Amino acid sequence: MKKGYWIAGILALGFVALGLTAFQKTLTPYLTFDEARKSRGVVQVMGALDKSSDRYDTANQELSFQLLDEHGRSMPVAYRGIRPGNFKDAISIVAIGRYKNGRIEAEKLLVKCPSKYQGAEVEKSYSAAAPATGS
Amino acid sequence: MSSHYFWPGVAAIWGALFAGIASAAVYLRADRGRADLLPLARSFYAAFATCIVAASAVLMTLVLQHRFDVSYVNAYSSRDLPLHFLVSSFWGGQEGSFLLWCFWGALIGLVVWRSAKELEAPVMIVYLASFLGIVAILCKQSPFKLLPPPAPEDGVGLNPLLQDPWMVIHPPVMFSGFASLSVPFAFAIAALWKKRWDGWITRAIPWALFTFVTLGTAILMGGYWAYKTLGWGGYWGWDPVENTSLVPWLATAALVHGMFLQRARKRHRRVNLLLACFAYVTILYGTFLTRSGILADFSVHSFIDLGITGWLVAILLGFLVLSLALVAWRWREIPVEADEETPALSRAVLFVLGIASFCALAFVILLGTSAPLLTRLSGNPSQVQNSFYGRTTTPAAALIAVLAGLVAFVSWKGDSWRGVLASSRRSLIVGAVGVGLAFLLGANQPASLFLLFLALFAADMNLRAVLRKAGNGKLAGAGGYLAHVGFGIMLAGIVVSGVYAKSTRLTLPVGKPVSVGGNTLTFLRVLPATATEKQAMEVRVKTAAGKSFYAYPKMYLNSKTNQLMANPAIRRTAAADLYLAPQSYDPGQPEQVGRDLRMTKATTQNIDGIGFTFRDFNADRSAMMRGEKTILVLTDVTITPSDGVNRDATLRYVWNMETRQADAPEMEIPGVPGGKMRVLAVSPSDGAVVLRLTGVSKDPKAEFQAATVESLSLDVTRKPLISLVWGGFYVLMAGAVLALVKRSREARRAVLAAERPAGAAARGEPVPAPTGPVVPAHGRSSLDPTR
Repeated sequence: MKKGYWIAGILALGFVALGLTAFQKTLTPYLTFDEARKSRGVVQVMGALDKSSDRYDTANQELSFQLLDEHGRSMPVAYRGIRPGNFKDAISIVAIGRYKNGRIEAEKLLVKCPSKYQGAEVEKSYSAAAPATGS
Repeated sequence: MSSHYFWPGVAAIWGALFAGIASAAVYLRADRGRADLLPLARSFYAAFATCIVAASAVLMTLVLQHRFDVSYVNAYSSRDLPLHFLVSSFWGGQEGSFLLWCFWGALIGLVVWRSAKELEAPVMIVYLASFLGIVAILCKQSPFKLLPPPAPEDGVGLNPLLQDPWMVIHPPVMFSGFASLSVPFAFAIAALWKKRWDGWITRAIPWALFTFVTLGTAILMGGYWAYKTLGWGGYWGWDPVENTSLVPWLATAALVHGMFLQRARKRHRRVNLLLACFAYVTILYGTFLTRSGILADFSVHSFIDLGITGWLVAILLGFLVLSLALVAWRWREIPVEADEETPALSRAVLFVLGIASFCALAFVILLGTSAPLLTRLSGNPSQVQNSFYGRTTTPAAALIAVLAGLVAFVSWKGDSWRGVLASSRRSLIVGAVGVGLAFLLGANQPASLFLLFLALFAADMNLRAVLRKAGNGKLAGAGGYLAHVGFGIMLAGIVVSGVYAKSTRLTLPVGKPVSVGGNTLTFLRVLPATATEKQAMEVRVKTAAGKSFYAYPKMYLNSKTNQLMANPAIRRTAAADLYLAPQSYDPGQPEQVGRDLRMTKATTQNIDGIGFTFRDFNADRSAMMRGEKTILVLTDVTITPSDGVNRDATLRYVWNMETRQADAPEMEIPGVPGGKMRVLAVSPSDGAVVLRLTGVSKDPKAEFQAATVESLSLDVTRKPLISLVWGGFYVLMAGAVLALVKRSREARRAVLAAERPAGAAARGEPVPAPTGPVVPAHGRSSLDPTR
C-alpha cells in the first residue's frame, strides 16, 4: 500500500509544480497606465470612466472609452462586446487585456458601481449576495 | 449604541448564542464523568435550535410584512416583488445567508445528536462550535437593525439579476451542504479526541454524501442560471464565488472516497481525519475570501466589507489550528496497519490516487482564487487569467477519468495489467469509436480528442459495472459506478461544448435575413414589455433542415436601476444548443439634415465662425400651475456672426403635456443669410438646450447624417453536446443519491447496533467502538485489524 502513497505523492508534487508555473505565467498584475504601456502580456488597469469619451461603434461592434487615473491621465480602452449594463454609473472600471495599438484591448471589464442594492451604510460596491456569475 | 434593533429577532440570536454556549459547556461536563447531565445538554441544544429557527421566522415575517424600517429588509426587498422573490430576499444579503446557514445547521444537529451515540458529547461540542462563530457574527452584524425613522415607503429591492427562480432555491441548497459538512468535521475531531478511529466513518459518510449532493446541485444550478441569464455564453467563469463553492465540493469528493476506502479496508485513518478537516476549512476559507471584501477589485461580484473580516479570519485560523494541532498531537497514536503487499494495480491504490487528484485539483483552484491575496503580500495584487484554470485542471480531469474508468474492473486485492486490459477492451473500443465519430464530425484538437476518449472510456467501464451489479440484483450498491458514468458523460459534454463551440457576431438589420452556420436569422421586431414579460426581440430562425422557429432574446432597461439587461435565447436540441445572446440594439433613425448644438447656460460655442451664446430660459411656470395643457419655454440666445456684432434672438418652444409633443418653429439666424435654427429639446433640470442648425455650414455634407436602419446585434453560438453537461450531472447526482440511501441505511443499522451497549454509555461505562461495517463491504469486514 506504501506504493500507492508514493505514486500519489509524486503525482501531487508534479501537479503542484504545474500549478505554480501556470500561476506565474497567467498572473495579470494591476498596473498604472504608464506601466501598462510598456507591458507585453495581459494586464489590468483601473480608472474612472471619462463619460464624454464613451463610444459604441456599431459596425465593428466595439466599445471604446477612456479611463482616467487619479492624476487625471487617460488611457484608451477598446472592448468587443456588449456594453456592461451598469457602465454609465460606474465609479471605477477595471479593464483586463493587452496593450496594443496605443490602447488596452480588453478581454474583460469589471464595473464597480455605487451602492444601489445596499442599505445606506458603508457599502462600497454592489451585489453582496454574489451569485455565480461569469465574466 | 445609537442604532436601534428589532428586539424579538435580536433576542432570538443572543438566545441562540447563550443556549449554544450552555449546551457545549454542559456537554463538556457530561463528558468529564457527569453522564447524567446529557439530557440537560440536549435540552440546551434544543433551545439553541429553537432560537435559530425563531430568529429565521422573525426575519422571514419582517420580509413578508414589508417592514422597511428594518435596514436589511429595506436593502433587499421591495413591494413589487412576487412572493417567491420576496422569500428569497431573506438570503439576498450577507446577514440573511449567514442565518440561513445556521438554520440548516440547527436542524441537522437535531439528527446528529441522536446518531452520535458514544461520541455524542465531543461531536456536539465541535458541531456547536462550528456554528457559534457565525451566530456571534450575527450578534455583531445583526439583520434586525432598524433604520432611523421615518420608515421608507418602499425598499431598495432585490438585485434584478437574482430575480430568477434558480436563484430562489440555489442559496438554500448550497447552505444546507455547507451546514452538513460540519458533521464529518465534528466526527473527525471527536474521533481524534476520543481515539475512536473507525466508528465515526459509518455515521459520517451519509453527511459527506449529503454535502456532495447538495453542494453539487447548488453549483449546477448556479452554472445553469449563469448560462441562461447572463448571456456571456458559458456556465462557468472561474469567478471567485463559483470557485469557493467548487473547492469544498472537490474536497468533499475526496473525503467521500477516503471514507469508502477506510470503510472497506480499515486503513488510511490519518488521511480521512485530515480530509474531513480540510473539507470543512475550505468552506471557512471560501467564506472569508468572498465576504471580507478582500477580492473587491477582482470579481464581477465586488464583495463588500461589513467589518467582519477580523471575525472571519479568527474563525478560520481557530479551526485550522485546532484541527492541525489535534492531528499532529495524535499522529503517532493513530493506528497504521502493517503493510500488506498490494500490487500497484489495485482498487486501494486507485482510490488513493483519486483522492490525491481531487486534493490537487482543489489546491490549484484555491491557489488561483487566492492569487489577489497572495500577491498582495508582495505589494502588487494580481489575479490569474482564466487560462490558468484550464491548464491546471485538464490534466487532473484526465487522470480522474482514467482512475474512475479502471476502478470499475479492478478489485481490492489487485489485478494483473493483462487481466484489466482484457476487461477494459470493450470500453476502449467504445472510446475509440466515439473519438473517430467526433473526428469525422470535425473535431480535430488532439488534447480534446484524448480527453473525450478517456471520458467515454470511464463512462462505458462504469456503465458495464452498473449493469453487472444490476444483473446480480444489487443495483442499490451501484451508486459509485453510476456516479462515475455521470462523471464521464459530463466530462465529454464539457470538453466538446467548450472546445467546439462556434460563435459569430452578427448584425441583423430589421427584416433582412442573414445566414450563419446553416441557420438563417431574421430580426422581425421588438416586442414591447407586458405586465409579465420583459421587452424582447423577435428573431426568426430557419435551420439548415428547413425547420423554422422563433427566438426571443431579451433586452430591457431595469426601471429601478437603469441597468441594461440582456438575456439570451436558447434553442435546445440533443445535438447542440443554439445560443443567441443580444449585444446591442439600434432603433435606427431617419436621415437628418442639420447640426445639433447642445449648450449650457451662459456659455458660448463656435460653429463655423459663428458664436452662439445661450443666455437663459424663460419658462411660463404659472401656466403649469393653472393646469394648462401646454407650456411655453422661451430661449434667449446671442448670435455673434463673423462680423463680430452681437445680435439677440428668442426662440419659442411649446410643450404639450397631453400629446407629449413639442412645437418649435424654425427661425432665421440673424446675421447669417440662409441659416435657420430651432429648439430641439430643453432640459431645465441641468440648464441645457439643444438647437438644430441648418444652412450654417458652406459644406452641405457637414450637415447631413445618413439614415441608419433599425438593427439588432447578436452573438450566435452553437454549443455542441452541451446537453451532456446537464445530463451527465443528473446521472452523477443520481449515483450519489443511491449511495447516500445505502450508506444512510448502514449508518442507521450501526447506530441501532450501538444502541444496546449505548445504555452502558449513559451510565458512564466504557463502551467498545461500534462494530464497523454491518454489511460486509466486498466481503472483507473480517479483516478489521483494530481488534
